[in-house]
Amino acid sequence: MRAVSRPAIETVGLQREFKGGLKAVAGIDLAVAPGEVYGFLGPNGAGKTTTVRMLVTLLRPTGGHATIAGFDVATQPGEVRRRIGVALQEAALDLLMTGRELMELQATLHGIPRRAVADRAALLIERVGLEQAAERRVATYSGGMRRRLDLAMALIHEPEVLFLDEPTTGLDPTSRATLWDEVRRLRDEGTTVFLTTQYLEEADQLADRVGIIDAGVLVAEGTPAALKAQVGAPHLDITLGGPEPDVEAARIAVGPIGELLTPGPGARGAQLSLRVAEGAAAIAPVVRALDEAGCVVEGIEVVRPTLDDVFAEQTGHHLEGAGEAQPVVPA
Amino acid sequence: MRSNLEVVRALVVRALNEITRVPGAALPGVLAPTIFLVGLSGVFGEAARLPGFDATDFRTFIVPVGLLQGASFTGAATGVNLARDIERGWFDRLMVCPAPRTTILLGIVASAALRALLPATFLLLVAFALGVAFPGVGALALDVVLVMGLATAVAFYAVLVALRFRTQQAAPLMQTAGFVAVLFTTAYAPKELLSGWLRAIATVNPVTFVLEGVRQGFTGSVTWADTWPALLAVAALLAALGSLAVRRLGRVGV
Repeated sequence: MRAVSRPAIETVGLQREFKGGLKAVAGIDLAVAPGEVYGFLGPNGAGKTTTVRMLVTLLRPTGGHATIAGFDVATQPGEVRRRIGVALQEAALDLLMTGRELMELQATLHGIPRRAVADRAALLIERVGLEQAAERRVATYSGGMRRRLDLAMALIHEPEVLFLDEPTTGLDPTSRATLWDEVRRLRDEGTTVFLTTQYLEEADQLADRVGIIDAGVLVAEGTPAALKAQVGAPHLDITLGGPEPDVEAARIAVGPIGELLTPGPGARGAQLSLRVAEGAAAIAPVVRALDEAGCVVEGIEVVRPTLDDVFAEQTGHHLEGAGEAQPVVPA
Repeated sequence: MRSNLEVVRALVVRALNEITRVPGAALPGVLAPTIFLVGLSGVFGEAARLPGFDATDFRTFIVPVGLLQGASFTGAATGVNLARDIERGWFDRLMVCPAPRTTILLGIVASAALRALLPATFLLLVAFALGVAFPGVGALALDVVLVMGLATAVAFYAVLVALRFRTQQAAPLMQTAGFVAVLFTTAYAPKELLSGWLRAIATVNPVTFVLEGVRQGFTGSVTWADTWPALLAVAALLAALGSLAVRRLGRVGV
């Protein structure tokens, strides 16, 4: 039975300070609605895992409070544990056991009656596509298979809230896509998912809302579209051709069409960036204006804001491994 | 209650996989007490002629030492395995499941009690083959209880160490305590032959009572006078170390 009147996850001023004064989480307020997929995005060391460990009762908060399905993590940990499924950063599996044995052990640990354990395990094994490997020891599984098994184990007791801590880190693209499909399926079924990731695309693709964390602080929160809209309109990266590209003439020509930006440090000399509200629709007038000014256009590319741009705007630096895009700042 | 017993059973079965699926892993712990028995009785066998041994064959005298050493090794191994589980993240899985912490702890240490029977059985078979007299079914049953009890007590201690240091590198600390506790008893000579500080320690060491309880069937007949102190000592060790382990586990996470 799901109660819809209260957030599935709620934190108020959540903090965790370690010995020596290191404040890994410095006061986080967030509320995740039932059935929502919440992406918790941030670079390594930002405080994502520490936050998750507090929410799943593995770490005591040193400040603020948090509730899961209405139960306080600090004072009602048993109630919280009954309602959560957890797949932590490293798929913690016993390599000596088979997939089926592990599923059945997990079912027992969660109090599923013995008569129902085998059926429930078989159902979840089938769901994650491990039927053929179920009787094999986990030591023989690939990384993707281990992640799928880990996810299945986290779902064995049909949790209200599922925590996935960087579930696709280190996975190949195919395994990553499989896991993404499973998260989408969980969303369709109404499971609340709290997903930490350092991959922009993952947050963008899967999350209904994204919280961006840096240095233990939530720096931005919203739907991916809304967050990107905050950064601004798309821009065009224009590369001029010809033997002697006249960048100044080009700037004068396209200036009235949009907002000229200063290209990032990696941009070549004959390149300019133009923020345009219309996106791709602005390409034609830009090309015309450049042509009339006698400039040769070698290439033109529409660059839309990413969550990394959101992150950069809020923190002044980029996410690790966020891609090759160079920073673009207003001229 | 029933689901808690199921959790204990499931965790014991998992721990026993180590023996059934990696037989070599259990070999050192199984062989070591027997090697001690054979080696020490070869080196110190003539010591049994000293007064105080009451004409007991030295090999017979130290069979109980091997039994308790096996129990100690097995208990320590439980802590090492837990430290490995902590390092690999498996322990987090246990800590986020809704089963009571006490149930989880029992599941972890109960395997030590069962596994302790393996070196004990091997040791006894070798000892009997070497001429040690069968102590009787009653004495053997008491030995089983005491060996399993001591293995569980050492397992509680090793769990404490594992939870404190959270690394397999603390293994020597887990292994040494039990080894020393068995050593500082009447392990190799009757109390009358021990001198000074060792005699003082052996007198108050609870493991001495356990050892004498195990030994009585081998060197004479089982009496209640030698049995109750042994049972009490094991119970006290279990209560003290068990409650400390429960407390420590309760402080993990929230």
